[in-house]
Amino acid sequence: MRLLLIFTFVFLSGCNKPEPLYNTQSYIFGTLVDISIYGESEARAQAISDQIIRNFQDLHSRLHAWQPSELKAINQAFALGKTPVSIAPDIAAMINEATKLSMQSKGAFNPSIGGLIAAWGFHYDEFKPVKIDENKIKNLVTANPKMTDIVIEENKIYSNNPAVQLDFGGYAKGYALDIALKYLREQGVKHALVNIGGNIIALGKHGKQPWRVGIQHPRKPSAIATLDLDSGWAIGTSGDYQRYFKLHEKRYCHIINPATGYPVQGIQAVTVLIPPQMNAGTLSDVTSKPIFIAQPTTRAEAAKAMHVENFLVIESTDRILVSKALAKRMTWLDKDAATHATEIQ
Amino acid sequence: MQQRTPLKFNNKPLAGDQLVIIASFALVIVLFQQFWSFEHASKLKIRQGSKIVGTYDLDQTRELHIHGELGDSHIIINQGKVRFKQSSCNNQYCVHQGWLSLAGQVAICLPNQISLQLVGAKSTYDSLNY
Repeated sequence: MRLLLIFTFVFLSGCNKPEPLYNTQSYIFGTLVDISIYGESEARAQAISDQIIRNFQDLHSRLHAWQPSELKAINQAFALGKTPVSIAPDIAAMINEATKLSMQSKGAFNPSIGGLIAAWGFHYDEFKPVKIDENKIKNLVTANPKMTDIVIEENKIYSNNPAVQLDFGGYAKGYALDIALKYLREQGVKHALVNIGGNIIALGKHGKQPWRVGIQHPRKPSAIATLDLDSGWAIGTSGDYQRYFKLHEKRYCHIINPATGYPVQGIQAVTVLIPPQMNAGTLSDVTSKPIFIAQPTTRAEAAKAMHVENFLVIESTDRILVSKALAKRMTWLDKDAATHATEIQ
Repeated sequence: MQQRTPLKFNNKPLAGDQLVIIASFALVIVLFQQFWSFEHASKLKIRQGSKIVGTYDLDQTRELHIHGELGDSHIIINQGKVRFKQSSCNNQYCVHQGWLSLAGQVAICLPNQISLQLVGAKSTYDSLNY
């Protein structure tokens, strides 16, 4: 009996001890960045978070698509025709990786359609509904900008197609997660969780438990499900609810189908879960796009082409598809969603 | 082996009693974990940029005006729930989020850099994927 009482006291006293959890938020990449570090002193956790934030700000300012930046300078040179300009090695590597992923997705993931994204008015921090210019969109699609138009030779870059305008909006946040994870490991941090605008990567655990993340419901202000994000795993969602505008009651989201030039309709969200690998963060950002853009009948195929086993597709509140692999890892919070979910693959 | 003795007060619990006590205790822990995850939030944490503006009790009726990057955001706390009533942003996504009441729920006004985060005794999750 005495043992039981001791156990009770130990159990209850656990509630009062503050956790060694440091958390900070900031606004970079036009979105919210949230960093949690577990098991380090506050001073050290703060110093490391501050450095990660500085690295993010640096990357953001270099890759900015509509303010003066290294990327904007490259885009301006592209527009002039075959005019080689110098390029930093890390941005060259990023472009090469993005080209590889774009080819793998058969052009559905296409970061060279900056012209289209601008035409739809998404190149503003605070965008407004645009007057849809059908001719302009048609011309931008016909110009057929693609990543393979880009040539990188000896620290110089040019494009064979002046319509190529790079926009790393669907890449940079994931890439930044990889950079953050690398830095955390270099600093000897064992446990951390980094969230950039909803794209999350995990390192270690939250104490004895794995890090747990909620997946946002695309139409409700709450989570639809939760899952444990083990060390090195990353999760990302493409949704029609974070950047969009409404015109004549129709929703136009920021994800544009490069083949049609129009925002994708008839889908609310695609979530992908990526196992540990060198570029898990990047893949968590990139691979949801081809699945989002695909036809309803070819989504599983698009996922396969991107080597994604764990995915969740929410086409509407009553049509939800979840891959068998992800279904095993997920816990539904929204009972209504759970009853409308179908397992595929 | 415990020897059977006549019923007496102040006696040590028997093996069966101990089992019942332990089983009840285990049940309490299991139920606690099962049901606490859907709990209503008790506190609201408001941040502007990287600074915590304050942590507020949700069980009250109160209106707050928080100054952000673009201007003021008008936030209403109403007996266990909270929402953005108005914000100095174009798209008003934050206002469209509506009322929040459960632990772990988040509403963000990105342009004004103001976030509302609902906190309970135990969070359902550490971070939100959106």
